[in-house]
Amino acid sequence: MYFSTYLSCCLILGFGHLRDFFRRILVLPFTDYNLQGYAPIFLDHEDFYMRRGYHRVQDCFSRPIASAPDAWFDVVEKVRDDEEKVLDRPTKSRKCLNLGSYNYLGFGSFDEYCTPRVIESLKKFSASTCSSRVDAGTTSVHVELEECVAKYVGKHSVIVFGMGYATNSSIIPILIGKGGLIISDSLNHNSIINGARGSGANIRIFQHNTPSHLERILREEIAKRQTKAHKPWKKIIVIIEGIYSMEGEICKLPEIVSICKKYKAYVYLDEAHSIGAIGNTGRGVCEHLGVNTADVDIMMGTFSKSFGSCGGYIAGSKELIQYLKHHCPAHLYATSISTPSAQQIISAIKVILGEDGSNRGAQKLARIRDNSNFFRSELWKMGFKVLGDYDSPVMPIMLYHPAKIPAFSRECLRENVAIAVVGFPATPLMLARARICISASHSKQDLIKALEVIGKVGDLTGIKYFPATPKKQEEERDGIKIGCCSM
Amino acid sequence: MYVRALPTTDVNRNTEWFTYPGVWTTYIIIIFFSWLLVLSVFHCSPGMAWTIVHLAHFTVTYHSFHWKKGTPFGDDQGIYNRLTWWEQIDNGKQLTRNRKFLTVVPIVLYLIASHTTDYQHPMLFLNTLAVFVMVVMKFPHMHKVRIFGINGDQ
Repeated sequence: MYFSTYLSCCLILGFGHLRDFFRRILVLPFTDYNLQGYAPIFLDHEDFYMRRGYHRVQDCFSRPIASAPDAWFDVVEKVRDDEEKVLDRPTKSRKCLNLGSYNYLGFGSFDEYCTPRVIESLKKFSASTCSSRVDAGTTSVHVELEECVAKYVGKHSVIVFGMGYATNSSIIPILIGKGGLIISDSLNHNSIINGARGSGANIRIFQHNTPSHLERILREEIAKRQTKAHKPWKKIIVIIEGIYSMEGEICKLPEIVSICKKYKAYVYLDEAHSIGAIGNTGRGVCEHLGVNTADVDIMMGTFSKSFGSCGGYIAGSKELIQYLKHHCPAHLYATSISTPSAQQIISAIKVILGEDGSNRGAQKLARIRDNSNFFRSELWKMGFKVLGDYDSPVMPIMLYHPAKIPAFSRECLRENVAIAVVGFPATPLMLARARICISASHSKQDLIKALEVIGKVGDLTGIKYFPATPKKQEEERDGIKIGCCSM
Repeated sequence: MYVRALPTTDVNRNTEWFTYPGVWTTYIIIIFFSWLLVLSVFHCSPGMAWTIVHLAHFTVTYHSFHWKKGTPFGDDQGIYNRLTWWEQIDNGKQLTRNRKFLTVVPIVLYLIASHTTDYQHPMLFLNTLAVFVMVVMKFPHMHKVRIFGINGDQ
């Protein structure tokens, strides 16, 4: 299996180089770009992956949709004329089952409690505040939002931003600078890497979800700094995520928090995918693993996954948020989060906590948990290699082989199931995967249809790397279970 | 049969694929199969085939390890633009297991090629030249060294 994957990568690379070579001798001397004196936008070799890898299969990524991202949505069909040119803009669309949106609690489309309130807020406050938070961009809704999120997450105060990516990349440089140390997980999101690089602090990476390696690095770095520079680190921040979006794994929070307490490092927890999706009342990975929120110093999250809105937040102690409000450029200069989006978040939180008077929130949470566990166990039984922990709504199915990425994606779309596939460089070269995000708005029939389609396509593309559990064994097991229960 | 691949701590996507299990075996298998291919296409003696494989290996690895600089994607904003692939692997650390393996392979190929051609003259000279250049380029002292400005930056 490794051999065929490497061979396929070699072939793609080889063909890419061959085509580049022929292009250089046959095409370039005859093209007539009058660009004397202009620097190239991309260097020749930098663009290689884009030209020879990504563009060949670009109809599998960035598919436009024509409706709200509910359980079923309209995917616009793209027509491929020529391999590397831009794809045409057609008008046909087809209804597909949505397994790619991060619509964990089903707030992605019309909701009977949230949407009327959002429309009311849109009429009252208009779509954008047109100003930054410190000038004229703070409305009563913003204040209510920050209080609401603080109560929900379990911290003293919260600061909210209009964009989740910008939250990470603008906060981390404010929290730590030169003379500090950032230790981040090897599979952290690009926004964290961006923020860490922009801060100017020293960065060390520890092996994914391995608390022992984290401890070794902490000890090494503290000792090295004391002996070489003769003064201690100004600050050490350990950055981890709640659920890793490419693996579906939940972080080992209790061990990491205890190690950080021992060595006096701060913990920065990015709950982009876990807030609202796991935990008994949806309060994220701290509730799920039983960690006291007072032990995690900085909790970050986004509203685009479970709450059906946009933006990000940072939750912490009163002094921390006060400091951030005075220093963070995203707060001082960037436009504040749009008021209807803020209202959507407030209404979504009220539904989750049951404060709207119904138990829809609890139902949604139970449904997403049941859906994820059912789907994951069924996929395992069929013989797929699925990553991720129990209870996590993100499940990547390993494809490994780069040629299977477009095959899987196109075959599934043909059967009206829309799946997001991920390859290099978002994932390691040999570990391409198809990522499925389960939502509370998926009904059991939807999941069964999805399983059927994925099973068929999996047989076609040959990704059932494990032997499937035979059905007869299952029935026996069920028979014994029923027998025991009836006793 | 299924090896558990732990995620590595290498941030450079261009080189971290080399740290996963199975790469060394695949490399050796590719070399062996290319020898079989050369034998079946050219109908030459096994020794000539090994010489051809050795010289082709030299050209391919010289071009991809020691000539091409940078990474084939623009995401890392060109921080590796001055480093060849050889200088990038293992984050620039010298004498790691990967580097030792990659240094041994051309030497072993040279020994096989010269043995199977019975140390006859034109092949021996070419093979020796190839292996000499290969091994010298992989010395730790040659890290980031550009002789006579060959392959230097513009």
